[in-house]
Amino acid sequence: MDKYGLAVAIIGAVICAALAGIGSARGVGLVGQSAAGLVSEDPSKFSKALILQLLPGTQGLYGLLVAVLLLSQIGVIGGAPQQLTFAQGAMYFFGAMPMAFGGYFSAVAQARVAVSGVGIIAKKPDQNGKAIIMSAMVETYAILALLISILIITGLGSVINAA
Amino acid sequence: MAKAEMKKIEIIALLSDSKKLIERLQRRGVVEFCDITDERLVKMNTASNIASFEKHLNAVLTARQILSGYAPLKQSLLAGFSGRKEIDKHDFGDIVPDVDDYLKACYDIIELDKKIAAANASIGKTEARLDALRPWEPLDAELDFAGTRETVCMIGSLECKEDITEHIGALMRGSDDGDEKEPPAVSVTEVSRFGSKVNFALLCHKDDKTIVAERLRGAGFTPPPESGSYTPAERIAEYEKQAQTLRETVEKCTQSIAAYSGMEPQFDFAEDYLRLRSDKYEAIGKMGMTRSTFIIEGWIPADCAYKIQTEFEKKFVTAIRVYDPAPDEEAPVLMRNNAFVQPVEGVTEMYALPTAKDVDPNPVMSFFYYLLFGIMLSDAGYGLLMTVVTWIILKKTTVEGTLRRSLVMFRNCGVTTLFWGALFGSWFGDAPQVIARQFGVEIKTTALWFEPIKDPIKLLLFSFLLGIIHLFAGLCVLFYKNWKQGRKLDAVFDTIPVMLAVGGVAPAGAGIFVSTVPANVSKIGLMISLVGVVLMVLTGGRSAKNIFAKLFGGVYALYNTATGYLGDILSYSRLLALGLATGSIASVINLVCGMMGNPVLKIILFLTVFPVGHLANMAINLLGAYVHTARLQFVEFFSKFYEGGGRAFAPLTVNTKHLKFKEENING
Repeated sequence: MDKYGLAVAIIGAVICAALAGIGSARGVGLVGQSAAGLVSEDPSKFSKALILQLLPGTQGLYGLLVAVLLLSQIGVIGGAPQQLTFAQGAMYFFGAMPMAFGGYFSAVAQARVAVSGVGIIAKKPDQNGKAIIMSAMVETYAILALLISILIITGLGSVINAA
Repeated sequence: MAKAEMKKIEIIALLSDSKKLIERLQRRGVVEFCDITDERLVKMNTASNIASFEKHLNAVLTARQILSGYAPLKQSLLAGFSGRKEIDKHDFGDIVPDVDDYLKACYDIIELDKKIAAANASIGKTEARLDALRPWEPLDAELDFAGTRETVCMIGSLECKEDITEHIGALMRGSDDGDEKEPPAVSVTEVSRFGSKVNFALLCHKDDKTIVAERLRGAGFTPPPESGSYTPAERIAEYEKQAQTLRETVEKCTQSIAAYSGMEPQFDFAEDYLRLRSDKYEAIGKMGMTRSTFIIEGWIPADCAYKIQTEFEKKFVTAIRVYDPAPDEEAPVLMRNNAFVQPVEGVTEMYALPTAKDVDPNPVMSFFYYLLFGIMLSDAGYGLLMTVVTWIILKKTTVEGTLRRSLVMFRNCGVTTLFWGALFGSWFGDAPQVIARQFGVEIKTTALWFEPIKDPIKLLLFSFLLGIIHLFAGLCVLFYKNWKQGRKLDAVFDTIPVMLAVGGVAPAGAGIFVSTVPANVSKIGLMISLVGVVLMVLTGGRSAKNIFAKLFGGVYALYNTATGYLGDILSYSRLLALGLATGSIASVINLVCGMMGNPVLKIILFLTVFPVGHLANMAINLLGAYVHTARLQFVEFFSKFYEGGGRAFAPLTVNTKHLKFKEENING
């Protein structure tokens, strides 16, 4: 079993980057559609709409960040892959999961708020700050997921590397 | 500092001076007019004047837009940042009589544009007709030619794949149902054929007209697109001539519009002039009049009141009275802050303006805003870039208003970003290390303090500490606000127990993460915290009447504090998360840059991936830092003391877009 330890850890990184990325792609896509509708009516609102569209994009970056952090902890980045036991690999795997799922679902939920925010820009363009803030409220939970994933992975890294 | 004190002002003057006096007030821009509702005074209905100004204003804007479509202005990259042009008020007065000419030009442009649109529509229609008629061009007969004395001519088209003469011959023979009658004789001339559609002219004896027509109709015979006593060729020539004339009209009108290019500054002037007039008439509509005097009532910042009073009393025959507003009157809010605080006013405005009861949160907030923003972005390279770019824009352009305010804010945030980035050793991520490695030099760390990725718990605890300081600052503002309003008991009991409870628990809380907290420190802390908790339970329900409600209120206050502050403080973990995100993604970009073994490819990769990657990373994290710093202010900080919901001070002023008067406007 233990020869799969490294593979399990890498699967964790892959799922994390992929799920968070899919969530952001869906989110940015959703907002982009309604933003494009708005811009077709009033091209001058492009920059405001673009900011809203970008908001659900951060989860994908967080997913990438956790994946890179994990890969560098297990030495895949840096060229010296470690020998991990199955249990160690599984720990890394689960460490990446908060970001994977937190990222996916928060990106989609955040996108829904941002889509409604596009409506705010359409009717009251001077209130766009409020639309941004409302959408950013959802991102809090992606940040918390990112935080716990980082803490688990760096924590594991220092424990396992010291042993 | 902070909110400007507001006074009411009442100006009574001669009606004959009204125009000059109001114009001067408008240039001073410090009086917000109140609507006078005294029934004994006459009021001027200015709605129709304002409507006509709005109409002209719309015309100017439309004309300006049309003109920019035909003769685009060349603008430099920084043009979007340029502020209003200065103009002397006498020069302004000299140009005003020309505004009618400018307006005429505007309406002319709109008229020409309408003509072009109409002509283009007609061209489309004519061309459609031409297309329909072209297949008939070879027909050498008038389209409504009906036949000779003995014959009947039918012109039209049929769907048919084979030869048209045979097809019609077959049609005329009809179905073979034993009909012994001779089929009608016809002569068919094919005019043209497009795919399976054949246009033709058919001659038959007039006696056979009915049966021929019936059989043709049964086969789907359609007449030509139009009919008349002209040949298709004549008609086509006529249409072509029409289209040509229309095209010439379009060409001529386009040239006429383009000839107006260069008048853009004049149109801008007209736009500003109309805005000024419209604002002025709106103000005039609010004043009250007697037969020979008028009266203005309004709000004025207290520090401008004396200056305005002396100036106007010297200039005009007038009686001015400045007085305190009645206690139930909600004064409009004008924020006056120094250069350090003023840039973040926009952030507060995004939330809500302070009410009369609120303390202006900006002075306290500005410090934390810059600080927290810096930790969230925390890359010295990005900070330096932000500072330099915004500094250049501020130096090189005349940018003003809210855009200037935002730029100054980002410049200040850039400085703190540089500061934190240097402490955490992030210069475009780990770029110094990566670049040094290419030359065989190994740099261990550039951090002046420590690298967050090496010890995230340390930064996490530091973030919580900053969070506690930020929240306590909010409580201090609450203390100040309550104390100043004379609610000294509330000031003490709403803040001190919370501070004791939260601050006391903190060392023990930190002990969960690290083992280096001395045991007796957390023990003393917990005791302090206990004092706070007891105080809170005893005083939290002080507004209730009976003893049980008091106790229940106290427990409820404790519960609220425990859950609320836990969530609030944990929320500051985003300082760590966002800071790590910036630095780590920057390092990934650097990693990609250094991936290639071949030195030429490496340089190419570096020159492309490095700038593009870092710009994108900076942009997205800048947005993140901006939004999440604002969130920490709005949700965590403001909830401690701030109500909001005030109305912005909106004086009658020179509300122009393109020009400003050289004479000093007191309000800035």
